[in-house]
Amino acid sequence: MTLTRTLPMDPYLVANADSVLAGARQGDAAALEKLFRAFESPVYTLARRICRTAEDAEDVLQETFFEVCRSIGRYRGEGSLWGWIRSIAASKALMRLRRNKYRDTDELDDAMAPSRREDTALRMDLEAALERLGETSRAVVWLHDVEGYTHEEIAVMMGRTVSFSKSQLARAHVRLRRWLGEEVHA
Amino acid sequence: MSHLSMEALLALREPGVEPGDVAAREHVDGCPACRAELERLHQRAARLRALPALRPSRDLWPAVRVRQRLESRRWQQRWTGVAGFLAAASVALALFWGDVARPEPADASAEIAAARERSQVLESALEEYNPELRVIDGRTARVSQALEDRIAELDQQLEAAQLRQVQRMEEEQQEARMLQLWRERVGLLNALVDVHVTRASNVGL
Ligand SMILES: [Zn+2]
Repeated sequence: MTLTRTLPMDPYLVANADSVLAGARQGDAAALEKLFRAFESPVYTLARRICRTAEDAEDVLQETFFEVCRSIGRYRGEGSLWGWIRSIAASKALMRLRRNKYRDTDELDDAMAPSRREDTALRMDLEAALERLGETSRAVVWLHDVEGYTHEEIAVMMGRTVSFSKSQLARAHVRLRRWLGEEVHA
Repeated sequence: MSHLSMEALLALREPGVEPGDVAAREHVDGCPACRAELERLHQRAARLRALPALRPSRDLWPAVRVRQRLESRRWQQRWTGVAGFLAAASVALALFWGDVARPEPADASAEIAAARERSQVLESALEEYNPELRVIDGRTARVSQALEDRIAELDQQLEAAQLRQVQRMEEEQQEARMLQLWRERVGLLNALVDVHVTRASNVGL
């Protein structure tokens, strides 16, 4: 079993992965908490980048680990543990997006105030620019560029097509480029 | 000369070669502007990956635990309910089958109580056996999943029937209906016990 490919991991967990996992499968509270401690930050980060608010991200974190506790017995060690937990977290976060039906704010901005934005010499920092993206394209850019999901995987998770995922990613990058002041050729 | 679109640039980062990629690659090789754009794209993605990890503002583990404990208590109650029902079932079933057509209200509630008890016994048997922790083959897993799903469905119906009974609607009919549901539940639990325990003893688990 591999715990992680790229994730900086709690050294205790890495050293004791098998016993922690065995304990967690039997519902041992201490083992489950170790899993939570090892993955709460990456799960929260993913959720926070996808969801609009910190409260939503906290809910996603809770829902994710509730699910992990419930179905850890079904995790058979195929693929990394982080990959398994991450896919639960991503689907919970996307479900929340769908449920809350956030408005796509950058779309709204484009429609309402196209000129004002051109006027402002925009040079946001990356986090602010990311925050400003519409929900869907932000989720796609995060899942694809940071978490490393393929367009095919994202399409399945979102219940959309591959070309939808691709166009959302392009849309995100066009906006990020503009807002980061990186636009060179036009 | 028209430069590459963002989609075309992004496609160049994807593994595999799509139609159009070759031409796009040739363009990038000969176009400093698009090469710079592609480089900025790579950098942007790298900067996204380098954003700091975030942490929730409060400890959420206690909340997860509370929820999990509530859930497992519910599960236990459900299984306890079913198992008691099941233990009584071998005896109770015989009784049930004798009186399918027209259960007397008084007998119906007695039988429901018996079935409940039988359910509890069978559930504790299952719990002791702990199928969750055992490795089972695909067919067994599918069969037991189907049985568990059906039991969950029955539980919902039982809950609804109970609610209606509490509201004193059509009490007798509800009781007959509940008896029927409980019977089915006992039967399913028996099957589930068979699936797990019989198979386990066959292969010496
Ligand atoms: Zn070019």
